[in-house]
Amino acid sequence: MTPSTMKPSIGIRLAAAALVVVTVSSAVGVAGCRRRAVAPPPSNDLLVIGYDREPDTLNRFSTHILEDVQTCIVEGLTVTDEKMNVVALLAEDVPTPRNGGVVLTPDGGMDVTWRLRDGLRWHDGAPVTSADVTFTVEAINDPDWNPESTDGFDRISSVSTPDARTAVVHYKEVYAPYALQFVRGLLPRHVLEGRDIDAANDYNRNPLGTGPYRLKEWKTGEYILLERVRGYWRGGGLPHIRQLLFKFLPNTNTRVNQLKSGEVHVVPLLPWDKFREVADSPTTVVHRMTGNSYEVVSLNQRRVGAFADVRVRRALMHAADRALIARSVLEGLAPVVDGPIQPVSWAFTDDVAKYAYDPARARALLDEAGWRVRGTTGIRERGGRPLSFGLMAQAGFAIRENVAQALQKQWRDVGVEARIELHDGTALASLWFAGKFDALLHWWHMPADPELTLFFAADRVPPAGRNISYLADSELTELLYASDRTVDLERRRSLLVAAQKRIAELVPEIPLYNITRLDAVPRALGGFKGNPTNAGIFWNVHEWNVR
Amino acid sequence: MIGRVVWRVAQAFPLLVIVSIAGFALIHAAPGGPLDIYLSNPNVRPEDIARLKRSLGLDQPVWLQYFTWLGGLARGEWGYSFTDGRPVVERFAERVPATLELVAVSLLLAALAAVPAGVYAAVQRGTWVDRAATGIAMAGISLPVFWFGLVLQLIFAVGLGWLPSAGRATPGDGGLVDRIEHLALPASVLALVQAAAWSRYLRASMIDVLAQPFMLAAQARGVGRPRLVWRHGVRNAVGPMLTVVLLDAAMLVSGAVVTESIFAWPGLGSLFTEALARRDYSVLMAFLMASSALVVVLNLVADLCLMRLDPRTAEP
Repeated sequence: MTPSTMKPSIGIRLAAAALVVVTVSSAVGVAGCRRRAVAPPPSNDLLVIGYDREPDTLNRFSTHILEDVQTCIVEGLTVTDEKMNVVALLAEDVPTPRNGGVVLTPDGGMDVTWRLRDGLRWHDGAPVTSADVTFTVEAINDPDWNPESTDGFDRISSVSTPDARTAVVHYKEVYAPYALQFVRGLLPRHVLEGRDIDAANDYNRNPLGTGPYRLKEWKTGEYILLERVRGYWRGGGLPHIRQLLFKFLPNTNTRVNQLKSGEVHVVPLLPWDKFREVADSPTTVVHRMTGNSYEVVSLNQRRVGAFADVRVRRALMHAADRALIARSVLEGLAPVVDGPIQPVSWAFTDDVAKYAYDPARARALLDEAGWRVRGTTGIRERGGRPLSFGLMAQAGFAIRENVAQALQKQWRDVGVEARIELHDGTALASLWFAGKFDALLHWWHMPADPELTLFFAADRVPPAGRNISYLADSELTELLYASDRTVDLERRRSLLVAAQKRIAELVPEIPLYNITRLDAVPRALGGFKGNPTNAGIFWNVHEWNVR
Repeated sequence: MIGRVVWRVAQAFPLLVIVSIAGFALIHAAPGGPLDIYLSNPNVRPEDIARLKRSLGLDQPVWLQYFTWLGGLARGEWGYSFTDGRPVVERFAERVPATLELVAVSLLLAALAAVPAGVYAAVQRGTWVDRAATGIAMAGISLPVFWFGLVLQLIFAVGLGWLPSAGRATPGDGGLVDRIEHLALPASVLALVQAAAWSRYLRASMIDVLAQPFMLAAQARGVGRPRLVWRHGVRNAVGPMLTVVLLDAAMLVSGAVVTESIFAWPGLGSLFTEALARRDYSVLMAFLMASSALVVVLNLVADLCLMRLDPRTAEP
């Protein structure tokens, strides 16, 4: 007998048996091989949220991630509700010209008077005063601190505080979105005055607020646990739910698996391709809401000469069967849109030029623009140059990749070649911000205030803005700047309606569909309203109640 | 032996400097940067981007950024995370225990599986046992980790409800049983992949050893089978595998990226994924340097272990 044909020794047999035992026990043995509730069901004692990322900071002014967790702790003077109306929160009222809260000044500026609710206190018991408003403005405008955005604050010249509950904010110029100026809340002066806020991690990781919840525990990489604040200023025993647990689950499949196994109860921003998996769940309902974002193909006129011709842009609109894409690729979850302001906004108008799917019309427009099929490739040419461009999109985003392929096919049918180029999300952001693309399939998350200047004004091309189509239309630019410089809501609306009509005529980009927001919540959850803005679904968490 | 260790450590320094230059250049050459994540927020103006860029020093030439970083490293300062502004060392330190826990358990499981499987397959070469072990090992090597992990989640968490699908512990619990339950799925996935590969190495190595004349001589001297296989066979066969095991350990410690991501395991792999997505340069460089140093150290440890197992390798 040679060693290679020896029978296994008893030692080897024992080792093999041990292997089986160890493997099996490690997988299931410890669990006792029994079905059990891997987590408690949703209740007013605990609601578990499957969150797709860990916040970078809980300082609302510094974070660049959705503010769901922060919203539960830190409240603004106003908040946007589920219909995107700006409503008062810590302020008694939303200041307007009509109620005397907004006064235009002779020097071209304006004064906005904020009146705080009576009896407001920070979670540590200190009173919330107008000095906190002043401190917030000064801190954000201090060059030594680096908040995410200084938008609007940089237009404030000073703040005066006639009394502890009143702050008058003096603007150097008329600033239309003033009502959202303090939507991210206030910074507590008594905690942060004289400190380097970038380094104030005691506050940044455990902020002091006035909201219905406070931080109980932040286990880095795992979860954030919030607990109910006793004596929340709204009274009435609010909030109903005692603890909110935000679990960080970056992998989408894992998040959905946890939802199905009952380990999490709420999944905000459920990806569309997971809708079917969850839609029939007996315990979960998927809340659908029109979003304040839209999917679009931006056409870079600076890089692709053909895009400078409005006939080509209109032809691309007519050639795109957006309704088919919405029905098939998007499974009817997202309605087709015709412009940048979404139906959830008070400034929205549907009375704009529409471009129905009409390939014959697309071909005629391209012929008229001098782009004709001459060779055997089927691609249109003019002056020996083919009508061909790169269509950039995010890699690994299955729905977007499918939409890109559908558009590629539909445009190919009218003799236009779109070459799909995929990049990872971060790389893509730097490319579009530098205008380094021909056409870009992406989405725009619109601000809660319906400002379009940043996206379409002629002087707001990168790096000064987001006019990445490089559209230069003086009429539109004038309309947009005029809309920014009025606080008369009706006048502002009429200017924005005119701007939407002009954009629809010019077709600087190809709007595709609304980014419908899907949020998976327990069927037993009452008081849930949703929200299309960055405020997120937790803006009214104090009303949530598990039946 | 001490001289050899000192020499190897001295050799490692220029190597690590070269790695740092190459890594720094590659990370900065990749499209995108730490501020790109801000671009999707319409309230962040281009003026804000320019301001933030200045504050993080990203407006400086890359070579200057490198020397600033290297100078900090020489003083023992790993810098601050571009994501949350906390010290990189602090972000690392809070992730290390979870990774060590996962890696230690999975390596142990893998070794417990691989050694008997590899030895058994070699001793029983050509039989159905060998073929079955080969089939299982091939499956283990071929199965995509992300897919296998999700399948285990679906079976054991969603379907059977026996185990939690992700996370390291139940908030508010964290007892031993709870920890083991959370560890079971990710550790099994990692262990299967490692065990599959190691069992193949060991089988091949063992077959070579079994054919050596000294094995026949030992058998002729009347050495019993268990002693023949384990003392004479495995001891000689396990040497080449040791280097592989230790290098695999270094790779796992520096990031079982996919497994940690799928199972929301709060270790270094998850941190790396997050840092990569956000182009958190300081965290990524710390990763690169720490994992390079770990590879160097574990390579050295492997050599020292080999010297102990087979003194012939210690000869110059």
